[in-house]
Amino acid sequence: MLRSLSFLKERSITSCRPFAGTIARKSSEQQTAETAREVKHHENLAGNWWDKKGPMGALHALNEIRVPFIRDGLVTRGNVESRYINTTKVLHGQRILEVGCGAGLLTEQLARLDAHVTGIDLGEELVKTARAHLTDCSAELSSKVQYKMESIEQHTKSHGEHYDAVVVSEVLEHVEDKVALLQDCVRSLKPGGSIFITTMNQTLPMWLGGVVLGEYCLNLAPKGTHHWDKMISPLDVQRILDTMNCQTVLLNGSTYDFWRNTWRWINSTQMCYALQAVKEVPADCN
Amino acid sequence: MLSTTSAAYTNGPTTTKSSSTTEHYDIIIGGGGLVGTTLAAALAKNPTLADKRVLLLEGAGEFKGFDASGPYQNRVSAINKNSIELFESIDAWPHIEAARYKPVKQMQVWESNSDALIQFQHDNFASDVACIIENDLILDAVYATVRASASNVKVLNKSRIECVSLPGQTGSVHSQVQLQDGRNFSCELLIGADGANSVVRKQMGVDVFSLNYDRMGLVATLDLQPEEAGDNSVAWQRFLPTGPLALLPLTEQQSSLVWSTTVPHAKQLLSMEPAQFVDALNEAFCRQYPRVELADLALQALNSFFGNSSSQHLRQFPPSVRDVQSGSRAVFPLGFLHASSYVCQGAALVGDAAHRVHPLAGQGVNLGFGDVRHLVETLAAGAYAGFKLGDTQHLTKYDRKCLTKNVPIMLGVHGLHTLYSTEFSPVVLLRSLGLQLTQNLPPIKNFFMRGAMG
Repeated sequence: MLRSLSFLKERSITSCRPFAGTIARKSSEQQTAETAREVKHHENLAGNWWDKKGPMGALHALNEIRVPFIRDGLVTRGNVESRYINTTKVLHGQRILEVGCGAGLLTEQLARLDAHVTGIDLGEELVKTARAHLTDCSAELSSKVQYKMESIEQHTKSHGEHYDAVVVSEVLEHVEDKVALLQDCVRSLKPGGSIFITTMNQTLPMWLGGVVLGEYCLNLAPKGTHHWDKMISPLDVQRILDTMNCQTVLLNGSTYDFWRNTWRWINSTQMCYALQAVKEVPADCN
Repeated sequence: MLSTTSAAYTNGPTTTKSSSTTEHYDIIIGGGGLVGTTLAAALAKNPTLADKRVLLLEGAGEFKGFDASGPYQNRVSAINKNSIELFESIDAWPHIEAARYKPVKQMQVWESNSDALIQFQHDNFASDVACIIENDLILDAVYATVRASASNVKVLNKSRIECVSLPGQTGSVHSQVQLQDGRNFSCELLIGADGANSVVRKQMGVDVFSLNYDRMGLVATLDLQPEEAGDNSVAWQRFLPTGPLALLPLTEQQSSLVWSTTVPHAKQLLSMEPAQFVDALNEAFCRQYPRVELADLALQALNSFFGNSSSQHLRQFPPSVRDVQSGSRAVFPLGFLHASSYVCQGAALVGDAAHRVHPLAGQGVNLGFGDVRHLVETLAAGAYAGFKLGDTQHLTKYDRKCLTKNVPIMLGVHGLHTLYSTEFSPVVLLRSLGLQLTQNLPPIKNFFMRGAMG
């Protein structure tokens, strides 16, 4: 716990300097190897990704709360024309980037609300699966969804200040260099745009429930999916985003009832949480 | 059967034998009965689902409409507050109000083997217990709503489902429906509103628990003795050993009958001369059955415990019946049925396709309208969260909501039927005490009233 906190402190300080993310990356080979391991781990599941009763069941169920979280987050910011509210075109015209889209569970669902969604992921198999699912099962969305196999770092270079919303859902807990990732996400966001993050907190109940019970006893997620070191508390995420001029406007706690495969919001961020932060509009733009 | 029906369609305009073309809809409702048609209207009226294309498949010919000045019809429903709220939300209620319906202020239930009696009413008769509405009037009202939204709801009459295939079994993306005349349709979500013998339910492969009660319900429209009827705002139900007998008010001088009895007796009643039938009916309401002495004694003790002397006991008797309208008598079989689940990938069940109960508490169609409310709510919330209409991930919510609401009511109704179809003394004693306790203890009574009346 201590170790990871000090790591974060160091990161958030360095990230105050421009381009710190790219310069200050320490032991980058180690990190690349670790990222490759994570990508491989998730790629192995590509075939089962869309199976609601398979290993990704909890992720399917999460759509019940994360889609409304993103939808209402955008509506509340006043970015949605009132005539679209309460219709299935509620996200009409919104450009959304989903970082770590996997096989596109969330991507398709956001596109079904009429948003233009770009999903990026590092797993080649995952992107293939996502593309195949789009053409086979959701052909009507093909003009709304784009999948790319690239890192956020690459993507941001060509898409700076491009998106109304960036979604980083259930990804942060698999990433070593969270500051660099968030930095790149924020760069791709238009001023006034929102970044939505869902992840798991770094708490003992979460570790016992999510990792020990969830992966090793109940097989809710494949073993080795989550690691203590990579979990992060909402306060740390908030602090990192603050340094990037993104103000956190909403923080909701959530938990998963495995016995009925249902997520629900709770009054505590001890387990999982969803966070929305808004990128500041520079004063001279007003 | 199949060949005759398809032959009958050959002169229809749309019977070009191009079975290869498949028309796609967002939602297909199989069955245009009360529940199916109300569902079509409710889907069309929901702002979130307003852009969905709905097809309503109905086996019968075009609905003839309803004449509010004609004689009263024999198929009526006791509609509770929740169902009325549903009609209000889809603008069908003004249509019903403008035609004719009878509010029920009080319900009296009593039995044949003891003095036990229960009366349901709201305090000071402030609001109605239920409304008795003819089924065809309800259908007329919801059809008016459906016609007003013709741009997204299409009604296809004389269309019987031949077979159904669902994504879970075929691996295809959509649910498919083939009609007996060879036409093909596909949809995101197929809704089975096709009654107790639902084709959709059979294809879904859900477990079904069903019982045949070996009883039939006889319905008829009755004329009452004018001097006895008063304002005729009480619904009467007497449990006889053969089954319950209910008189539901239609006007000040007319009531509708629902008489559940054994199959031979029902057939006998059906074929009787009108005068004979009226005598049998009046006798059934008043006849003294063998009493269970112990139960009567226990009831007296109970009543004195609550401070009610038997003279204070407000036993009312139903008005006697003067005549039965010719041709209004009809019988239908009674049974119990419940599907273990109402949903699967690409399909859902509503109404009698999912559950069928004894008519004794007037719950059947109200449960169906409850399904409509929950299904439309669930589909709207799902569509607004980007779920496909047929996605089980979200449809399960409808399943959960309905099961928790319907199962206790169904068990209650089935329990009442079982409890009252015996003359076994200990059971008579217990049920009489139970009924009287409920009558005397307002909290318990209100609990049951809330359950039954929404």
